[in-house]
Amino acid sequence: MEPAVSNGRLEVSCGKKIPKSTPCPRPVPGEASGGCSFDGAQITLIPIADAAHLVHGPIACLGNSWESRGSLSSGPELSAYGFTTDLGEQDIIFGSEQKLHESIRYIVSRFAPPAVFVYTTCVTALTGEDIEGVCKAESEQLGTPIIPVNSPGFVGSKNLGTRLAGDVLFQHIIGSTEPEQTTSHDINLIGEYNIAGEMWHIERLMQQAGMSILSRITGDGRFREVGWAHRAKANMVVCSRALLGLAVQMERKYGIPYFEGSFYGAKETSYSLRQMAYLTGDRDVERRVDKLAAREEMRLSLELEPYRKQLKGKRAVLYTGGVKSWSVITALQELGIKVVGVGTNKSTAEDVSRIADRIGDDAEYIPEGGARQILKTVRSRKADMVIAGGRNMYMALKEQIPFVDINQERHKAYAGYDGLLSLAKQLVHTLQHPVWELTAKLAPWEEETEFAD
Amino acid sequence: MSERLNIVDHNQLFRQDKYVRQREEKRAFEAPCSPEEVTATLEYTKTKEYKDKNFARTAVVVNPAKACQPLGAVMAALGFEKTLPFIHGSQGCTAYFRSHLARHFKEPVPAVSTSMTEDAAVFGGMRNLIDGIENCIALYQPEMIAVCTTCMAEVIGDDLSAFLANARQEGALPEDMPVPFANTPSFSGSHITGYDAMLRSVLETLYNKSGRTPQPGHELKLNVLLGFDGYTGNFAEMRRMLGMFGATYTILGDHSSNFDSGATGEYSYYYGGTPLEDVPKAADAAGTLAIQQYSLRKTLGYMKQTWGQQVFSISTPLGIRATDRLLEEISRLSGREIPEALKQERARIVDAMMDSHAYLHGKRVAMAGDPDMLIGLIGFCLELGMEPVHIVCSNGDRKFEKEAELLLKSSPYGAEATVHSGQDLWHMRSLLFQDPVDLAIGSSHLKFAAKEAKIPLLRVGFPIFDRHHLHRYPIIGYQGALNLLTQFVNTVLDVMEEQAPDHSFDLVR
Ligand code: SF4
Repeated sequence: MEPAVSNGRLEVSCGKKIPKSTPCPRPVPGEASGGCSFDGAQITLIPIADAAHLVHGPIACLGNSWESRGSLSSGPELSAYGFTTDLGEQDIIFGSEQKLHESIRYIVSRFAPPAVFVYTTCVTALTGEDIEGVCKAESEQLGTPIIPVNSPGFVGSKNLGTRLAGDVLFQHIIGSTEPEQTTSHDINLIGEYNIAGEMWHIERLMQQAGMSILSRITGDGRFREVGWAHRAKANMVVCSRALLGLAVQMERKYGIPYFEGSFYGAKETSYSLRQMAYLTGDRDVERRVDKLAAREEMRLSLELEPYRKQLKGKRAVLYTGGVKSWSVITALQELGIKVVGVGTNKSTAEDVSRIADRIGDDAEYIPEGGARQILKTVRSRKADMVIAGGRNMYMALKEQIPFVDINQERHKAYAGYDGLLSLAKQLVHTLQHPVWELTAKLAPWEEETEFAD
Repeated sequence: MSERLNIVDHNQLFRQDKYVRQREEKRAFEAPCSPEEVTATLEYTKTKEYKDKNFARTAVVVNPAKACQPLGAVMAALGFEKTLPFIHGSQGCTAYFRSHLARHFKEPVPAVSTSMTEDAAVFGGMRNLIDGIENCIALYQPEMIAVCTTCMAEVIGDDLSAFLANARQEGALPEDMPVPFANTPSFSGSHITGYDAMLRSVLETLYNKSGRTPQPGHELKLNVLLGFDGYTGNFAEMRRMLGMFGATYTILGDHSSNFDSGATGEYSYYYGGTPLEDVPKAADAAGTLAIQQYSLRKTLGYMKQTWGQQVFSISTPLGIRATDRLLEEISRLSGREIPEALKQERARIVDAMMDSHAYLHGKRVAMAGDPDMLIGLIGFCLELGMEPVHIVCSNGDRKFEKEAELLLKSSPYGAEATVHSGQDLWHMRSLLFQDPVDLAIGSSHLKFAAKEAKIPLLRVGFPIFDRHHLHRYPIIGYQGALNLLTQFVNTVLDVMEEQAPDHSFDLVR
């Protein structure tokens, strides 16, 4: 595949070209739209598992959302607690800074987290509270970093929130601690959220090739380890365009080269590992990656065989956000699946051109319209299944279309070589289910009898 | 497909050696506290001292057991035919409401937002509202749009009624399209008050539009209200019971078909709900029967005052006595005898309770949920000889506390109970450690505290994200009592078997 920023292995510094930052598309009133910036920021930072995450606002923002992430932690679970100031009318009228002070102090004294993230929400942004000031004062008082996350819902889309969270990481955290030891093979993963444990797959591969993750940003991350991210040899931006800015900033300030890659599909995985190895500048690691990739790809192709047989020629409509739109296509193509429709509503121009590289004009592009449009495409292109996020699941099932969840809430890891195998299994499993036989046929009393008069 | 293939669940996958090892290696980077320190702290959080500190907490809420008003308003809106919930505020909340409801019912949820952004926050959201209405009519073809606000729109003080009038003037909103609206800021009330506010507005809007004058008692029909109800099965059970009476009725706010539609091969935005034209006629009904009180205060007030309805309301009728009262009221309001078949059903359920009584008797329980649900649960537990010990109601008030306490006093089994309204599930955790119980009853959110306390969770209420189909089974009426009893006693038996030594691993229980 074409590397994101640097071209091949010739240019060491990848970040010379600053990614075009087209503004995130504005949501349209009167449509069913996705999450807000607060949601994006929260999703990005909550995987820092040992920190406390305090939502400053009325019950809405937390009450409907806590404990629904799919990011797994291998240790601390504090980030799974739902902390909120739960503002009431009085607080809105008379101000809630005092309540915020007390909440922070309570959390720090009872839970002793390494840090507290304080999220502004629509209401506390509007009432103009000095949240930064409160956080600053409490940080000094308590000696614990209290980090304001200024990403109220109304500033825009979820993607924007992710980007803002990246700024928070850069401004407040990265560079704040030092690792006990570093090696010349330390890589940061940026934008990998450890959904269903995907990062663990990747980490294992990296270890086998003699590389290690210095900071997980942020899947299964720890506050301190994010702090020492500036000591890494390279950054890999995993499937999250919104965090590209963070990588750019890190390159400028710390001279850490970065590249953009994905772990969906064997080819992409090998590419990403190679790119990492290349950036470590160690020939030996590169050789190990080559061997590993060759071995894994060989093994995988053997193991995939039975699944490939079953999946060959199947047609899918893929509806997912941003980078995944193209990276998952590659994975599906490796399994012999034809992508006949693809959602592009959250993709940038660059994403779309990558989609085009992979499927040309063979497929329908679905820029907007959500549910209705997906279903239309399934029908017109005679697709066998829909691969999308949970939001569209139930509507696909109403139409009796086999569905595979690819986003945040799933319980299956699809990254890496093993991940592709899991994906293949999941797809086959979904298509195999006897319920589709049931739906393919009419109920006996609906069948037209030949002798009807 | 020919070959069947097997898939390892992630639970097992990550227990494999390689992942366990990898996790251990990772710890080196974590620079964690010593295991002793972790254990010591964990133990400390289970002490009395910690509990007192926890209960002295005033500012922060930890693990709330409530959602916000607009979520309830969306549910109320989906109780009516071809109605699109339309939420005025920034877009995030709407995405949350949709996924919250979808995860509970496992159904698609139509709801749209005005998607306010920064400029709207400064200049007001009128344009968003008007454009949004135009847009959603074109996209979703609703017959009614139910508008509610989020806290954001409330804080900037958007005036819905003026905005809607302007929308009509501009022609974005057709003259004859009913648009009930409710102010539902998240900083007051909870999902149940939001439900109430929207339901009231729907009734009032449709009624006013009809230009009628109420003639209460003119029709033999009953009005039936179920309130913020996460059980589609309750609607079916209500219909079944009323059908047995032979009563004619209108359910005001019936979201059951929107949240329990069949997979027919065709997706639709609207699957059912109370027909709009039935609402004005409901003002002439013989009486109104509501099986929630705390989530229907404003609505019932409106029906009493403006429609002159005679209203009977009780909290969720769980168990025998509450159902008895319900049936007596149906009988009184409809002027029909309690059917023989229902009497027999009662006897059978009582029989079932006797069969199981030994296993439930004296079991100490903790419960959390909405006020109406909790009143019902307390009553049922007392009937079963179970002892409610901790009752936590994040969205309860003084009135609820009093009612709950009165009910608990009515039975020796309630003697130990304490009622905590306004508290959260982190308080509950302290209670569970300081004064242990055998079982917890509540929504999925309670599972973490229950797991720590090593007691089983009986899932009752809303939301239930982590079990399938429970909401399809009624919990009200005699049949509901049987369903709950079945769930309760078998959970107790499961636990018993798990813990049973070989010599008492009995075949018959
Ligand atoms: S849109 Fe605003 S009020 Fe709604 S969830 Fe997001 S931050 Fe909270």
